[in-house]
Amino acid sequence: MIFAGLSLAQLAAIFGAAGFGVLVLYILKLRRRVVAVPFSPLWERILRDKEATTLFSKLKRVLSLLLQLALLALLVLALGDPRAAESVLKGRTVVVLVDASASMQATDVAPSRLAAAKDEVRSIVRGLGGADRMLVAQMDAMITPLGPMTSDTSALERELDSVHATDARADFPRALRFATDVLRGVDQGEVVVVSDGALGEAADSSGPVHLGNTKLSFVRVGKGADNVGVTQFSVRRYPLDKSRYEVMLELTNTGPAAEDVELQLLGDGALVDLTKLRLQPGERLPRFYPQLSGASRTLEAKIARVDGTHDDLPADDHAYALLPEHRRARVLVVTDGNTYLEAALLLDEYLDVTDVAPRAYPDAIAKGDWDAVIFDRVTPAERPRVHALYLDPRGPGSPVHVAEELKQPGFDKFDRRHPAVRFLALEDVNVAVGHKLVPETGDRVLGAAEGGAAPILVAGVRGGYKFVALGFDVSASDLPLRTAWPLFVLDCINWFSDEDAQYLSSFRTGDVWRIPVAGGLAQATLKRPDGTSQPVPVHEGRAVLLGQQAGFYELSAGEQTTTFAANLLDASESAIAPQDAVVVDGKPSGTVDGFRAGVRREIWIYLLLAAALLTVLEWATYHRRVTV
Amino acid sequence: MPGFSLGALASWRPFARGENKRVQSGDDDLFDDEFQRKLDYLALVSRRVFAGRLRAERRTKKSGSGVEFADHRDYQPGDDFRYLDWNVYQRFDKLLVRLFEEEEDLAIYFILDASASMSFGGGEKLRYAKKVCAALAYVGLANLDRVSIVTTTDRVMDRMPETRGKARIFKAFRFLREIRSEGTTDLGDAMKTFVAQNKRRGLAVLVSDLYDSHGFEKGINVLRYNKFDPFVVHVVDPAEAKPKLHGDVLVYDCETGEEREVTVTAKVLARFAEAHAHYVAEIERFCATRQVPYVRASLEVPFDEMILRVFRRGGFLR
Repeated sequence: MIFAGLSLAQLAAIFGAAGFGVLVLYILKLRRRVVAVPFSPLWERILRDKEATTLFSKLKRVLSLLLQLALLALLVLALGDPRAAESVLKGRTVVVLVDASASMQATDVAPSRLAAAKDEVRSIVRGLGGADRMLVAQMDAMITPLGPMTSDTSALERELDSVHATDARADFPRALRFATDVLRGVDQGEVVVVSDGALGEAADSSGPVHLGNTKLSFVRVGKGADNVGVTQFSVRRYPLDKSRYEVMLELTNTGPAAEDVELQLLGDGALVDLTKLRLQPGERLPRFYPQLSGASRTLEAKIARVDGTHDDLPADDHAYALLPEHRRARVLVVTDGNTYLEAALLLDEYLDVTDVAPRAYPDAIAKGDWDAVIFDRVTPAERPRVHALYLDPRGPGSPVHVAEELKQPGFDKFDRRHPAVRFLALEDVNVAVGHKLVPETGDRVLGAAEGGAAPILVAGVRGGYKFVALGFDVSASDLPLRTAWPLFVLDCINWFSDEDAQYLSSFRTGDVWRIPVAGGLAQATLKRPDGTSQPVPVHEGRAVLLGQQAGFYELSAGEQTTTFAANLLDASESAIAPQDAVVVDGKPSGTVDGFRAGVRREIWIYLLLAAALLTVLEWATYHRRVTV
Repeated sequence: MPGFSLGALASWRPFARGENKRVQSGDDDLFDDEFQRKLDYLALVSRRVFAGRLRAERRTKKSGSGVEFADHRDYQPGDDFRYLDWNVYQRFDKLLVRLFEEEEDLAIYFILDASASMSFGGGEKLRYAKKVCAALAYVGLANLDRVSIVTTTDRVMDRMPETRGKARIFKAFRFLREIRSEGTTDLGDAMKTFVAQNKRRGLAVLVSDLYDSHGFEKGINVLRYNKFDPFVVHVVDPAEAKPKLHGDVLVYDCETGEEREVTVTAKVLARFAEAHAHYVAEIERFCATRQVPYVRASLEVPFDEMILRVFRRGGFLR
């Protein structure tokens, strides 16, 4: 027996002081009510008989005193919070990981797997021992502890109410690392995973997770596996006909039986295509829709069973995508005249090109709302607050320092992955004369001469605006005579306006999203699909956030509003067949044991109950005049 | 010889409305219309009930010197031979003594206990005792007996001198109305004073709760030893046997002031009730063994019913 509250010495001191007080109060003479009687000798008669039992009366008074002291002892002992030594030694520290991934939205167990998981955790909480402590954490794309490590069961049950399902997959390795960090140095540590088991491998880029001596238990939730989901969904406009677009999607039947489903494709909320499909068990069915038109912004794919019933996981039956913005890009060309450049810009009918002489540049830039500016052999003193392509920049207004002259430089090396020069053949471009460009930190060298030592094509960001600088006059080269020239100009403009082949029609839930934000704002406001809003930080011109909800988002920064879509699109998450165990570090998990709901093992409660009982006994005996 | 007639008692209405108003004009409404009507009623009832039994009424039957023959009785050794009825002996061969009626000028003393205990519990006992005294005094006065009332505590306090005649009942009322209870009880000493002050022997009606710490027997014995005919009316308040006490109390005697600590429980209360009953029974037993007429006047019993009990008990009416 040990005392978790006050120490034995403190308890003894309190009992001594309070016991002395009780004794003093007991010794004090009772003040009696004074009552007149008509004939006191009658009382004398009965008191004479009573005096024969004086000794017994004294004993009864001692009994009363003993009752009081026993009552005091119980209360003082309760202050000490006594506990059985073995219960303290065996007190467990438990981290419960509640799976809140998309698969937990499955309705094979009513009302959902997540609700069933919460019930399971509640039963575990109610079975906690007096010395046990527990921490409950929500496991989705992140790991979110819902409260501190505590033995307060009511607080733990309250925390469970805040668990909600997401449309993302669970980051199981991260959750396990969190749990092992929490339990580091704890003897009786235990991790309880409450999930359907669709968690993937317990390993990440740092390698497999090691649990050490920590016990891993698994509580299985769910029973069904019938599910067909949209596992891929992508859309893009045709580069040369932006009124038309093509859609690629993939359906996967993760269930054990063949499924007949109806696939709807909606453009701006209106039906674009309706197809009935039959998917065999485990089949992944890609679908390609070319030459579509009619939608200007949003695309949605919905699947439903032909018989009108729902599969076990509705969350992956709906996918969202956003078409690239379809508008003419306004381009300002500052030149004294460049036929090659004008010809290249004529190739794209979706460009609205304005040519100005260098003298008229200040007025033009001040008036217009430009998407890009091309400086042909001129360099403004002040950098424009717009994306810019510099052809042969010079002087202090250049975004990069222009160094020494280069004789017959060539593209000895160039970055094939950058959208401005992707798919271009620049290796054999002949240049009469050029200048070496000196990139700043963060800039990207797209092309360099002299074996890569002298950059002649540099891209980067200045003040939140992109730029590309070409270190030679194109008229002093054969580049305008090549196919690469117009592609280079148009790719630069597309890169500036994000209308490149890498355009993402939707983001994946559970990933960290980086959404471009114009201007130098430090914060933007995100409106989620469910209508709620949250502020998100902007870092290097991009809003950074971890999204866990599928649907259409709106990101507002200043006067600019950007819309984007997010989807689960995860075949492993759509595979909802519950697993019997999870394997971590090569060892399968065990079953939960020792969390049976019962009477709490806290002795002080019983001490207080005994004190209350004694109080009732003392009250009864006093008023029945047994102990007086 | 003036005789007492229950018929006369029944027909007599001393409490005319005018008289009554005069009585009620005092501080005490003890002897109000209701009380007086009850006295009338008692007079009627007593006449009907006791008519056959009290043939001699207010006459004593004594052998010897009377004028009017009354009855015979068997001869007993020691009787005066002069009163033997020789004619009867001759005819029936049986010795009988002739009895003659003789008028007796009876003195009735009402000794009212006026100690503090009589006022305990609101003074109901004292009021009851006053009513008893008044009723019996009324009967005595109507019978032309000499009626006197004295109040006692540990000594004789007040005294209404001997008086005769029905019209004096209001004097008795006035006297009784003025009585206040206080002081301790010592019937022994008080009766010694009483017998010393009253040489004329007679009926001594002791109306008391007999709460005498010196012993209730002493007072009665003093009367007996001095040739008085004691008649005990024991005023008992049943509520006193069941005091409403609980818990730790300090009880003190309302007369002596003597204190005693008591923890009252249900068991103690039961034992007290038992002791009280035992005390009352002890008094009754004492009177029975000494042939002293005894009537228990419980406050639970209506006053008129109590008076009838006195009549039935005998010893007061002859």
